[in-house]
Amino acid sequence: MLKIMLACSAGMSTSLLVSKMEKVAEEKGIEAEIWAVAQDKVIPELPKVDVLLIGPQMRFMKKKYEAKAEELNVPVDVIDPVAYGRVNGEAVLTKALELAGLN
Amino acid sequence: MNKFMEMLEKFLMPVADKLNNNRYLTALRDGFMVALPLIIFGSIFVVIANLPFLDRLIGEEAFGTYQGALSSASNATLTIMGLFVIIGIGYKLTQSYEGEAIYGGVAALAAFLILTPQVLEGVEGVIPTTSLGAQGMFVGIFTAFLAAELYQYFTRKGFTIKMPEGVPSAVARSFSALIPMTFTLTTFLVVRIIFDMTRFESVQDFIYTVVQAPLTALGAGLPATIVAVLLIQLFWFFGLHGQIIVNSVFDPIWYALANENLLAFQDGEALPHIVSKQFIDSFIVGMGGSGMTLAVIIGIFIIGKSRQMKELGKLGAPAGIFNVNEPIIFGLPIIMNPLVLIPWLLAPVVVAIFTYFTMAAGIVPAPTGVIVPWTTPMILNGALATNSWQGGVLQAINLFIVLIIWWPFLRIMDKQFYETERKH
Repeated sequence: MLKIMLACSAGMSTSLLVSKMEKVAEEKGIEAEIWAVAQDKVIPELPKVDVLLIGPQMRFMKKKYEAKAEELNVPVDVIDPVAYGRVNGEAVLTKALELAGLN
Repeated sequence: MNKFMEMLEKFLMPVADKLNNNRYLTALRDGFMVALPLIIFGSIFVVIANLPFLDRLIGEEAFGTYQGALSSASNATLTIMGLFVIIGIGYKLTQSYEGEAIYGGVAALAAFLILTPQVLEGVEGVIPTTSLGAQGMFVGIFTAFLAAELYQYFTRKGFTIKMPEGVPSAVARSFSALIPMTFTLTTFLVVRIIFDMTRFESVQDFIYTVVQAPLTALGAGLPATIVAVLLIQLFWFFGLHGQIIVNSVFDPIWYALANENLLAFQDGEALPHIVSKQFIDSFIVGMGGSGMTLAVIIGIFIIGKSRQMKELGKLGAPAGIFNVNEPIIFGLPIIMNPLVLIPWLLAPVVVAIFTYFTMAAGIVPAPTGVIVPWTTPMILNGALATNSWQGGVLQAINLFIVLIIWWPFLRIMDKQFYETERKH
């Protein structure tokens, strides 16, 4: 089970993406748990996570999370703005799999 | 143009990084988040207690009883919101140092109460609620920062009682908080005593007159509001969450203004401010999200001939109704798109000015200070914020203004998309 966490300011717009990603994962038979959080919940939830993806509008948070994520060996990346705008679940899921070294 | 944009982005990223990742501003923002559910709870009951026409329906006397029965809901939350913000800030700041957060929270609260007047018109043993709400907000913020820092400092210095082996760890922990807490609170007691000896009656009065009053007056003005709105838009243009960034600086001011309005509203007096948290949230941001993009979505539905526009409208509309607009911002795209820079920057400023003067002229009441959740759809959102139907109508007019400003630019974009699609 791959655990993917998305983060943005309030976890609102990323949650749009979560439902799209879940659908794609189900279609492809990928076992993944995907959820969205607000920015202040990222560090406390990090130990449960395999991959952390940040909304492009919050990309200035990356540096802050990276230190902690490195400690826990969790790959971190910023979601591609175009994929984000189009709520492209497939592209973001592929990226997450790549980061987790599963693709 | 490209060079200039690159330069701006290079300049804005570190600003965003500094503002959003600054330990104190983060604690401030997250501290307000702690208080938010309480503030919204209180707001809901202010709205219910002040339903329009109800006094005429059930009679003045019954209306008075009805209002009295509901008043403790807001008195226990909104009116004293400073307290919750202070606990929140103390908690979050201590947490950022990975200390025992709850002790940081209560240290902040106790320190604040030490600085607060404990006498009202000669009666001792009372704490005036005015000092626990909007008026005490800035003292509260500074106190919370300082108390949490001091508590953390004394803990780190190892000024703790070491318990012999065999003492249960829970007992040892409560003692380990004792000395840092004592040192921290004693510091504030000394500050209070020093202030008592000066001509200022209390720290609260001092900070209120010297820092808070001038700052809020500045923030309540139209120029500062336009600057804030422009900054929000500019950050977003580079794909950075402008609101989160700008709010971290402006929220204390906007909330204080909202709370002063609320007190006046509950007492049936004229509202002292036009600009407040809700002026920004409902009339500038709460119309589809930052940049009032609900108008853009409507424009897309009317104009859109290209497949790209149509798809984007369908994708963006459901979220846009609840003021989540990242799909439009990144999808249209608005970010880094020189074509839409003009309407993107111009529309919110025009609407801010228009709204300000409409309210100043008394055509639409100013927001009452009731906090409406930012995900509330427009019209409803404006009506609730101002406790009047005019607020909803004003939002509809504002939407129309935004649509007109965007119109020519959307048409150009749609035409470009359409041509490219036809070629392929």
